[in-house]
Amino acid sequence: MRGLIFLRDRGIFVLWILIIAVFAVWANPYFATLNNAILVANAAAISAIFAAGVAVGIICGALDLSIPGVAALSSCIAGWMITTGLPVWLALVVGIVTGALVGFVNGVISLRGFNPIIVTIAMLSITSAAASIIAGGYTFPGLTQLDFMGTQRYLGIPAPVWITAGVFLVGTVFLTKTRDGIRLMAVGGSAEAVRRSGIHSDRYKVLAFVISSTCAALGGLVTTATVTEANPSASPALIFTALTAVALAGVSLVGGRGSLPRVLVGALVLATIANGLTIKGVQPYWATGVTGVLLIGSLALERWVTASVSRRLMATAQASVHTGTR
Amino acid sequence: MATTTTAPALELAGIDMHYGYVRALDSIDFHVGQGEVVGLLGDNGAGKSTLLKIMSGAHRPSSGTVRVHGKEVELHSPSAATHAGIQMVYQDLALVDALDIATNLNIGREILRPGLFGLLGFVDHKAQRKRSEAELDKLGVRTAAMTRPVEMLSGGQRQVVALARSATRVSGGHNGVLLLDEPTAALGYEQTQVVQALVRRMADQGIAIVLVTHNLQLASAVCDRMVVLNRGRKVADVATEDTDTDHVVGWITGARGSMFD
Ligand SMILES: Nc1ncnc2c1ncn2[C@@H]1O[C@H](COP(=O)(O)OP(=O)(O)OP(=O)(O)O)[C@@H](O)[C@H]1O
Ligand SMILES: [Mg+2]
Repeated sequence: MRGLIFLRDRGIFVLWILIIAVFAVWANPYFATLNNAILVANAAAISAIFAAGVAVGIICGALDLSIPGVAALSSCIAGWMITTGLPVWLALVVGIVTGALVGFVNGVISLRGFNPIIVTIAMLSITSAAASIIAGGYTFPGLTQLDFMGTQRYLGIPAPVWITAGVFLVGTVFLTKTRDGIRLMAVGGSAEAVRRSGIHSDRYKVLAFVISSTCAALGGLVTTATVTEANPSASPALIFTALTAVALAGVSLVGGRGSLPRVLVGALVLATIANGLTIKGVQPYWATGVTGVLLIGSLALERWVTASVSRRLMATAQASVHTGTR
Repeated sequence: MATTTTAPALELAGIDMHYGYVRALDSIDFHVGQGEVVGLLGDNGAGKSTLLKIMSGAHRPSSGTVRVHGKEVELHSPSAATHAGIQMVYQDLALVDALDIATNLNIGREILRPGLFGLLGFVDHKAQRKRSEAELDKLGVRTAAMTRPVEMLSGGQRQVVALARSATRVSGGHNGVLLLDEPTAALGYEQTQVVQALVRRMADQGIAIVLVTHNLQLASAVCDRMVVLNRGRKVADVATEDTDTDHVVGWITGARGSMFD
């Protein structure tokens, strides 16, 4: 029983360690080096930020598909501001606030009873159009002012890795230790239960959209900093990579369940596979295929574990009411 | 037991309820006192749930008055009822499955950590767990470890958690009213016993309880008084000790004439 629950909650960590072990042997001596570890972390960093946004949305019961558009819009606004000579900090703040605002609008419209998936798809179109309008059909190149959060390293570790670590630390503490975070998870699990406890569940739905879009904006800005160019094209692939990481992490798409550390490992798993196969000179489309197989495998595992757990519960339920033991 | 000197915790007078042309309730008088368990019985469609929904603010009566602790109130919404100290426990329980017992019991009235962390909204999990343990101990139901997710509880344990959540919310400043619609419908014999004992203990702590049930055995074991509805009319209102199941069955089916005609 305990083993099964461990597998459900920590399975992704085990999987990651297995993958690392396989590559350490197979791609010896190039894979298991500190330098390569930093490369993997850096490759995972940006998709992990987007994945965090997707995860918070799903945990609270809403999938935010506008993320690529928000990322493009925020980077173009910031890129435009920097290009016109405005201070970098101001450009970054405006970029982030734009993301938060879009999330707020997404949330408020969804609460009016519109399907959040359609609302955020519409917002994806609107934001990417807005990004293109701002960029006037071009990009904003040469944004070397953003190097400090792009290619710069601190203590030997690239800036995006630090930023991602910060996002996940704050996010995890928020979701597990604070009142608003716990309520947000509860709303995803059962909005009705929260409402009957005398809490306005709507507020937390909006908050989830705001967090989701803010992560998208941050991800867009870090991307811009890494490639020193703000690009108005919103890449849908981004949302699928993020979703894959989230699904691998076992975040239930029904909501109310999930943990950010696991999502981070989900993103790391994807980056590790891509990196290891690249070292072995395997074509990148193989990595995509392997990811798909893993995803279905993890679904099958989850179904099996859930079924086993509930079967054992049925067996012990009667006894436990009376003995008061677990 | 009901205290005769003070006003009932909840009192309804002359309640009529029409659904279009359907007359679901016909001038019902009803009251429940502090620490009293009143069973609300009747056949399918007798109007039990309708009456309970009026008490919980989910429906507004076509006419009639509602008094809480002697004061007339308008229960125009469930939150107005909650505010007046009336809590309804629904059959679907509405617990957050993925979260643990302590979190479920404390949501909406979290204890924050002292100092700076508290200002930042950090929850004091330890204090919450302690408070919930104490509350469950007081009710005599320590079901499982506080850190256990609700989804890993049996039906009876979940029912206990849902009841306890409501009990802790009505027994705050003044003693409140708890409305239970078929709390044991889905439970087996032993788990019904657990819930039955819990209902009794909540009443002993001064909570007024209205219990809708089809289970006559449960009703006679736990209720101080039974009220029987038949096709929207009150046909009996008797202390449990002054009646027996045969009489009650007669009132429920209509074989026995109303006490009030
Ligand atoms: N929303 C509604 N619209 C119209 N008629 C209704 C509505 N709800 C209940 N009724 C009618 O009111 C009457 C009383 O119903 P109610 O649900 O209160 O019965 P009950 O005593 O709870 O029955 P049961 O034991 O089956 O739960 C029934 O005749 C029912 O058909
Ligand atoms: Mg009913």
